Amino acid sequence: MSAKKPAKYGIGAPVRRREDPALITGTGRYTDDITPDGTLHGFVLRSQMAHADITVEGIDEVRAMPGVKLVWTAADIADLGGLPCQANMELADGSRLTAPPHPVLADGRVRHVGDPIAFVVAETASAARDAAEALMIDYDPLDVVVDTAAALDPDAPVIWPEKGSNLAFEYHGGDAAETERVFAGAARVVELSLVNQRVVANYMETRGAIGEYDAATGRYTLTTGTQGGHSMRKILADDILKVDESLIRVVTPDVGGGFGTKNFVYSEHPLVLHAAKTLGAPVKWTGDRGDHFVIDSHGRDNVTTGRIALDAEGRILALQVDLVAAMGAYLHQFGPFIPEGALMMATGLYDIPVWFMKVRGVFTNTTPTDAYRGAGRPEAAYLIERLIDLAGRETGLGQVEIRRRNFIPPQKMPYTTVTGQYYDSGEFDAHLALALEQADFDGFAARRAKSRAKGRLRGIGLATYVEICAFPGSEEANVVLNDDGSATLYIGTQSNGQGHATAYGQLIAKYLGLDLDKVETVQGDTDRVRTGEGTGGSRSIPLGLASVDIASKVLVEQIRQLAAERLETSAADLELVDGTVRIVGTDRSVSLAELAASTPGKAKLKAHGNFQQDGATYPNGTHVCEVEIDPETGATTIVGYTVVDDFGVTVNPLLLEGQVHGGIAQSIGQALHEAAIYDESGQLVTASFLDYAMPRADDMPSIRFETRNVPSITNMLGIKGAGEAGTIGATPAVMNAVVDALDAARGIRHIDMPATPSRVWHALNAA
Amino acid sequence: MSDKIKITLTVNGTAMTAEVEPRRSLADMLRDDLRLTGTHLGCEHGVCGACTVLVDGKPVRSCLMFGVQANGASVRTVEGLADGDRLHPLQQAFWENHGLQCGFCTPGFLMLAAGALEENPDMTDEEIRDVLSSNLCRCTGYQNIVKAVRLAAEVMKAGPAPQATRS
Repeated sequence: MSAKKPAKYGIGAPVRRREDPALITGTGRYTDDITPDGTLHGFVLRSQMAHADITVEGIDEVRAMPGVKLVWTAADIADLGGLPCQANMELADGSRLTAPPHPVLADGRVRHVGDPIAFVVAETASAARDAAEALMIDYDPLDVVVDTAAALDPDAPVIWPEKGSNLAFEYHGGDAAETERVFAGAARVVELSLVNQRVVANYMETRGAIGEYDAATGRYTLTTGTQGGHSMRKILADDILKVDESLIRVVTPDVGGGFGTKNFVYSEHPLVLHAAKTLGAPVKWTGDRGDHFVIDSHGRDNVTTGRIALDAEGRILALQVDLVAAMGAYLHQFGPFIPEGALMMATGLYDIPVWFMKVRGVFTNTTPTDAYRGAGRPEAAYLIERLIDLAGRETGLGQVEIRRRNFIPPQKMPYTTVTGQYYDSGEFDAHLALALEQADFDGFAARRAKSRAKGRLRGIGLATYVEICAFPGSEEANVVLNDDGSATLYIGTQSNGQGHATAYGQLIAKYLGLDLDKVETVQGDTDRVRTGEGTGGSRSIPLGLASVDIASKVLVEQIRQLAAERLETSAADLELVDGTVRIVGTDRSVSLAELAASTPGKAKLKAHGNFQQDGATYPNGTHVCEVEIDPETGATTIVGYTVVDDFGVTVNPLLLEGQVHGGIAQSIGQALHEAAIYDESGQLVTASFLDYAMPRADDMPSIRFETRNVPSITNMLGIKGAGEAGTIGATPAVMNAVVDALDAARGIRHIDMPATPSRVWHALNAA
Repeated sequence: MSDKIKITLTVNGTAMTAEVEPRRSLADMLRDDLRLTGTHLGCEHGVCGACTVLVDGKPVRSCLMFGVQANGASVRTVEGLADGDRLHPLQQAFWENHGLQCGFCTPGFLMLAAGALEENPDMTDEEIRDVLSSNLCRCTGYQNIVKAVRLAAEVMKAGPAPQATRS
């Protein structure tokens, strides 16, 4: 702790959130809190079977039910386009990826449980549900494939016959022949096959959507929780409704978590818009937790084999990866991109000269997969960090020395990885050393002995991770001084709970000499914010704040010049403080309100910033997890957790730590609790919180968190991004700790996630 | 199904009558009929606790109770937690300790903690963590929620002395 009192605002200040007063008093406004006058309510009837040809009967009778306004199946919306997959990457055979059709409502065939079949609109939500449930769906079942590892078996039922098999795509990275050659001459090869299981985002606010249509102007308004409305608007306009983009407004109210999964256009978005136009009334759909489990895109679901070739000293000579990624029954919006994140980041923090990676995406009769917090990078970190840990065990070097021996050294920075990533900065051994000290790594043996004395198995695990954030691009910011002396920022990122309005606002407040509550952030409205790339890939603060910084500085200069004329002085003598512009060292000043209200035109009261970032940023750090396992029950308890992260620059330490805590919780969830499980018939048997284990307060350790920042030279402000890092470092750290405990006790060197009590108990009792 | 039943109850200290369908949950009644949208629905099967309100002082999953069952009861929701403009110590502590991110689960956690602390103001840290394990949060990792409730408990025990205004 520094003895120096932190600045009230600006970069680095621990500012309390501007968002909170509304959210703690129940006056936040999420999608389902909004019900325009005259709203009709929609219900989506979903497939109960995983793979079947269907016919829908009883439509006319249902249309005649009281209160029912509309019943649609695929035939009724034939003029709407389907849900697009935006991945058109180059494949191993040189062709471009093409996606099978993904209709808004299933057209004669359903391919996963939850596939939407019919849309019913009625006067009330319960009338719509009653009506939808009166429809009769005649299912003619087809064979089902749900197992990722078995999807390419020659006898597996094929979901898209025109593709010939369930292989959706295959792409490669690196040099296959050179990798084979290096492996053939290696002193040692370490191999691990693991499952990165399917998980569900489970943000607490399930999705909802309200469609409105103004016949006079021909404009649609969609109100829905998003990670950025602009990309959604474009897809709705170009691909689905086929209208000019200017005719669609997307409004995003408060969003109750997104984690990647609220980036995307789902069927309900065009359905409520098209129905609002058809019926001349607002149409609202509110999904429940069951809808979330079966229709919102899932995360992870990879089956991977990784191998590393080592020389006699334990230095990695080459990496070879074979990754099979379940795509679900359709290719989702970004789905095929996700394993690419695993490919790009496959070599982690290590100086690995040669690699080859094969990625195959496969269709199964499951909910499509797509971005979930980390989106490919957790998969990369999980593989390389499990592998290097295993190498530490097999070489006898141990988990610390094997990493040190293979880290990219500081003198090699900036460093371009063999996978093509440009790591602009980082001191990996330094955060490892600090984390080991904070976690009292040296005292572990004594703690293990104490645990052993009471019959418990203790393990300690590391992950030294790196990830990729803030992909090249920009996010423009416009800052306006209002007539009342307050300021408004217009920006097209989209907070999903991260506190963007506070992070941006604390910088503007500092520059303009305002209190934070005088700085409003306008986001989430495509009519009020010109452009926007949304939230995702931990991009909002690195890119958005850099543009805010530029715009604020320009505005300050303009304000100084206006005030200089007013106060008949030089702009250089002026400071902005307490809502006024003051001549330094005097009491002569003009208030911002007075200045703004009396400025003709207003052009000088607006400023624009648009930082263009050419490369990505690479946050990195060390997680140290300590666990205790009860061999009688197989239950794992996390008894210590330490993180030292390099986020480049800390903008708001409160918000930053919150991001790290939350990311680790999701990761601990995946490591120890969560799994989306389909049975052989394709039923999702974990489709409620009764069956899908979410981490709770008593599952979570108290996390010790520190930063050891090395500023990015790619980002203008040195910021690397922090939204996903916790999720990326924690799964391997937790699992390496579990394996450490199991290896010490019974020589067990692999167990898959989630390490539930049952799985651990069975492993212990089989060994 | 749509025959409504008339009930009387107290909501956040105000006596009122309501006409509700028998199948309507208390949560839906609060949100849709009384327009108290601070109570949120996260799962509608009684696990996540986002819809927690106090019914006669006890934390209740309002998705698991019918509105008509609240006949004659006193219901408190997040909208009634603050004393006018003065935040409840729990609200204050959640704000100061970054106990929320997206805020969707927050009303449920606040009402759960309020009910639990009213019943037992002297909960140990372990008891606090145990009680808070009733509800789900996907954003915070719980650490700051636990911290906020612990600090609020101390403030509440110290009594209702006027709090200094904090900047």
